[in-house]
Amino acid sequence: MSEPVDNAKRFTKTPSVVRKERNEKIAQFVFLSMTLAMVLPLVLIVGFLVFKAWPSLSLDFIFDMPRNGMREGGIWPAFLGTLYLVIISLMIAAPIGVMAAVYLNEYAKDNWLTRTINLAVINLAGVPSIVHALFGLGAFVYAAKMGTSIIAASLTLAVMTLPVIIASTKEALSAVPMSFRQASWNMGVSRWQTIWRIVLPNSISGILTGIILQVSRAAGETAPIMFTGAVISVNIAKDQLFAYGLTDECMALAMHLYTISTQIPNVPESLQFAIAVALLGVVLLVNALSISLRVYLRTHRKW
Amino acid sequence: MVASIAKLKVEDLKVAYGDKQVIHGISYEIPPNEIFGVIGPAQSGKTSMLRVINRTIEFTPNAKVSGKIEIDGEDAFRMKDVYGYRRRIGMVAPLPVGLPLTIYDNVAFAPRSFGMKDKDQLDALVQKCLEQAALWDEVKDRLDSLGTKLSGGQQQRLTIARALSHQPEVLCLDEFSIAIDPVTTMKIEDVLKELRESMTIILVTNLVQQARRLAKRTMFLLNGELVEEGDTEKMFSGDADNPKTNEFVSGAFG
Repeated sequence: MSEPVDNAKRFTKTPSVVRKERNEKIAQFVFLSMTLAMVLPLVLIVGFLVFKAWPSLSLDFIFDMPRNGMREGGIWPAFLGTLYLVIISLMIAAPIGVMAAVYLNEYAKDNWLTRTINLAVINLAGVPSIVHALFGLGAFVYAAKMGTSIIAASLTLAVMTLPVIIASTKEALSAVPMSFRQASWNMGVSRWQTIWRIVLPNSISGILTGIILQVSRAAGETAPIMFTGAVISVNIAKDQLFAYGLTDECMALAMHLYTISTQIPNVPESLQFAIAVALLGVVLLVNALSISLRVYLRTHRKW
Repeated sequence: MVASIAKLKVEDLKVAYGDKQVIHGISYEIPPNEIFGVIGPAQSGKTSMLRVINRTIEFTPNAKVSGKIEIDGEDAFRMKDVYGYRRRIGMVAPLPVGLPLTIYDNVAFAPRSFGMKDKDQLDALVQKCLEQAALWDEVKDRLDSLGTKLSGGQQQRLTIARALSHQPEVLCLDEFSIAIDPVTTMKIEDVLKELRESMTIILVTNLVQQARRLAKRTMFLLNGELVEEGDTEKMFSGDADNPKTNEFVSGAFG
């Protein structure tokens, strides 16, 4: 017979348990504080921006034209210009990027050409935006004779975001288990049908996430657009959504902020912060659209 | 006793991935409506052989295949309609793969991709396949739930139902029971006995006893070579022609 179990002992913590619980608490605390350390600056920055911008913020601010040498009034031309640039560049870059990634991940054979292309894509993703700007200037503005225009700037932004979209889409596609594809092929389903009905529906969230991240980049970059399409000031019809044409020059928020902060004296401080808030707002707006699309696709899996 | 025209005839089949030869020329014939067992340890080329049979090996870029496979006397490698050919071969993988679709869509996936649109026709086919795979009774009230939510054994039967959905003439099962429990395995084995009436079955298995229970004839592969092929009873009774077979079936190695 074994010894009767001492119940009191069973409910007492042994030193090893005490140590484990202590370590557990420490680990939890460290990771929590790291999370806070990440979130806190973000909240502070946004809060600071909104606080500083408060005197200038209003709905009119967005829909009004700049007045008095851009020292007063609103930001409508810049706001609309940024929307144009972001949306047009994504409409160019997203389909091309996704289709290129599908080819590279699903069809391309593993040979030196594919490997070179993959390497090029990764390296292009790291090229500084000012280099893209010069490329855009040479290729679109001069060589293609587009002049400084919305289309040239959008194409430049598209060239800049394309490699990243390709890379993130490839990542999302390769996350779909190989066994899904094999199961589909085994049933005599063609490659394209497999991609369309199995691979893409299962990677669409990841693909959209990659594209969403590029929205912020396209909206925030000043360098690529300042030689190719964005100007300091432009007059457009007020309260009109389609005020810009593709070949027009436009204003853009990032550029506008740069101009106001560095080129024009005696600008009220709150105006600069208000532009920053508006820029943040545009990014959040486009992100919100993409996120709701993602949620919609996730709940309606069949397509 | 080999019927006059074999359902499937394999002649001097060789497979290599790059420089690595995995199948060194094997030949055999399977008459219609027979369960043909394939046994052999890992790396013996069983799965590669199945991938050649349904021609999905063509998706592996560096695979080299030579030899000949005939189905009903027709050269399988020369068939122009490879998708139509693959439909004639059902394939069940070792690990159950529930496609992330509803149970219904899992089974209706292949027929739809061949253009079957009629709802009644699809409904009937889905029910028939699920019944054949002994899964209908368990899922008939939740055909709209995700196939991936089923248990492992149910998913494997879903895989079988999917393989049946394109009404194959030859059904290949690649170690279908390694991920499922014995009770489900027995259920599926009963299913196979019934399916034999309407199709030819190639049963790749690591369970020597499973081959003994089901297969009329069995083939023993070792390192890509055909060691022996013959009546299952003879192969497993201990007086097989090749001593290696006797060793393998008695559990001496493998």
